Amino acid sequence: MTTEMLGMILAGGQGTRLGKLTRTTAKPSVPFGGRYRIIDFTLSNLSNSGVNTVGVITQYQPLELNRHVQNGASWGLNERSAGVTILQPYAASDGEKFFEGTAHAIFQNMAYIDSYNPKYLLVLSGDHIYKMDYRRMLAFHESKKAALTVAVMPVSKSEASRFGIMNTDDTDRIIEFEEKPAAPKSNNASMGIYIFNWATLRKYLADSNATDGNLEDFGHDVIPAYLAHNEPTYAYAFHGYWKDVGTIQSLWEANMEFLSPNNPLNITNRNWRIYSQAEALPPMMLTSTAKVTRAMIVDGSYVAGTVDHSILSQSVKIGPGSVVTDSMVMPNAVIGKNVRIDHAIIGEDAIVGDNGEVVGTADDIAVVGYGEAIGRKEKA
Amino acid sequence: MRKGELSAIIDLNEDDAALAPLTTGRPIGTLPFAGRYRLIDFPLSAISAADIHSVAIFMPRSARSVQDHLRSGATWNLDLIQGGVFMFPYVATRDYNDASLRARYYEDYMQFLRMSGSRYTVILGAKNIANIDLNAVLDYHRAGDSPITAIYKTLPVTELGAQELTLSLSELGTASSVLPLSARHLGDAAKVAAFMDGYLIDTPMLIELLDAASNGASFRRMPELLRDAVLANNANAFEYTGFLARVTGIQQYFAANLAMLDDASYQALLYSSIPILTKSKNEIPTFFARDSHVVNTILGTGAYIEGSITHSVISRNVLVHRDAEVVDSVIMQGTKLSIGASVRNAILDKGVVIGPNVTVAGTPEHPVVVPKNATVYQSIEEVPA
Repeated sequence: MTTEMLGMILAGGQGTRLGKLTRTTAKPSVPFGGRYRIIDFTLSNLSNSGVNTVGVITQYQPLELNRHVQNGASWGLNERSAGVTILQPYAASDGEKFFEGTAHAIFQNMAYIDSYNPKYLLVLSGDHIYKMDYRRMLAFHESKKAALTVAVMPVSKSEASRFGIMNTDDTDRIIEFEEKPAAPKSNNASMGIYIFNWATLRKYLADSNATDGNLEDFGHDVIPAYLAHNEPTYAYAFHGYWKDVGTIQSLWEANMEFLSPNNPLNITNRNWRIYSQAEALPPMMLTSTAKVTRAMIVDGSYVAGTVDHSILSQSVKIGPGSVVTDSMVMPNAVIGKNVRIDHAIIGEDAIVGDNGEVVGTADDIAVVGYGEAIGRKEKA
Repeated sequence: MRKGELSAIIDLNEDDAALAPLTTGRPIGTLPFAGRYRLIDFPLSAISAADIHSVAIFMPRSARSVQDHLRSGATWNLDLIQGGVFMFPYVATRDYNDASLRARYYEDYMQFLRMSGSRYTVILGAKNIANIDLNAVLDYHRAGDSPITAIYKTLPVTELGAQELTLSLSELGTASSVLPLSARHLGDAAKVAAFMDGYLIDTPMLIELLDAASNGASFRRMPELLRDAVLANNANAFEYTGFLARVTGIQQYFAANLAMLDDASYQALLYSSIPILTKSKNEIPTFFARDSHVVNTILGTGAYIEGSITHSVISRNVLVHRDAEVVDSVIMQGTKLSIGASVRNAILDKGVVIGPNVTVAGTPEHPVVVPKNATVYQSIEEVPA
């Protein structure tokens, strides 16, 4: 069995910077944009790019993610002898295969990758919001005869020190890599999207394992090793919407950007749809007391209050007299009567009792965690 | 095939003349409902909730929309390695005066029933919008004396048309016949047992009925055979007490949709212990713009609303531009209302375009129906009689 390019999604990270939202679930399964989960963007990109064989590497709190991905049918990734495989750490005769880093996670799943014998390995994160045609990146990789291509995104100079920065020559060849530099020389930020020639990477990972085992992380170890050995390593510039939603602040911002009809993500484009696994829910209902403006709402939601500049996910209930502004409410959350929610993220299955208040600011987003209940308040 | 207690038959060949032009290219079974569903979702969801594994669908003349909606049956857990959905095509050229061809009509049913290995068979239509617990019907059937059970709901006589079928209930609570309302001697009865086009019957008996009919001298369709069986056996009569809307004409279809805006009906039909399952489309969330004003309305996903909507049912991918207004209407998938358009008491089928500043207005008794994919550039106003 041979697959030209095999996709591997690194979905095992804990996402500690999402605080309460990832206490019991992995970051890629955090709800986004009303009816999606973060990993839907990557899975849909793969499906739309014709990459039909995908491994999803999980480790931290994988239950919800497994339930969401299932057999990949929701993304059309369930072809025979292809499709999605969930890869979890396992015990083997040579020890437990927990993942110590991104590259180590690929090494531990070598048997899976070898079973498809791919020419190229496409390594992705499961926690980015973007639309990207990986076929174009592969065409670039092939035209450069590269061993590794890293997708990069221009960021502002002020932001550059938060990312891995790729400094290139005139031919887009990477000549230097700086991890979170204090004084960045360029603004080509790594998007954590890599195309490797599998045979080359396999050799590096196997050698590392046989010797000092120091190739644990792609950014920290593998890219520097490739550069040191003069492997042809190129930067593929991506121009489009891309958002890392690794923090509460960036998750909220990405949701608010998603809400704009002029969002460059262009979610309405039916030629590059974002798919998700969705249960059949009744139509949304806006009652006679509802007042909804600048908002996105999906199936199963019931709105009797005021919603402005906010996103409501599946089966959210907003009681009469409640006002929700500049917020993102995750699935199945119940908001009682006369509640005030402003600049907040309300977690899945959370409950905010009557007269409750969840109020943040644009720089300090208030969060109600998964299944958390904020008690009913008596009117003062 | 996995042997289940129950198998099911849905016959989509229902009389749809009263629903034209909505039924020009589709059977009653695939009429859109409540901004989200097709009518066939209701029997299929009941079947799914009762864990029935073998379902025969008798296809109508216009089967494309049915095929497109059902696909593998996965939505209703019917994409099974044993059992599943069996679709029987509509054969337009079949001459039922020819005894050998006539036999094939019955053979389709008998083949399916024998293969299903079921002890009981449920037979449902699609024009009764309800949320029936088939396991409760089965329990009732087992407790009863008759090999056939008919499902009904008690309704005021005034709600039924003369040709609609009713059950004649005996004092023992059994049904002695299935008759049109006009053929009944009602006396001063205010209520009547409205038949819901639903039976549960012992499978061996159904096979016997079909076998006998196949050797008979004249052609009798399944519904007639079942009515005869009620007459011969006195059916157990199962009373359904949940939400029911009967789609017998345009007015009833319109009212059934708007009934979902009543909270109690919406909850009773769509939030009971039987979830109503339907094919999921990967639509984006519905967007409400800054100046939109939407109250007392249910909506599907993928819609984009700039104008105002009051007391209406809006399907997915509907576009309501600014200054457009929708009141007391049912708008189906993919329809567009241009700037300043006004729609009242109307049913707009899929893909309709209403031009700028055009008014489409019917009356509650006579909603205007705009057929599928029509473009309306001149106002249509129904003058109240």
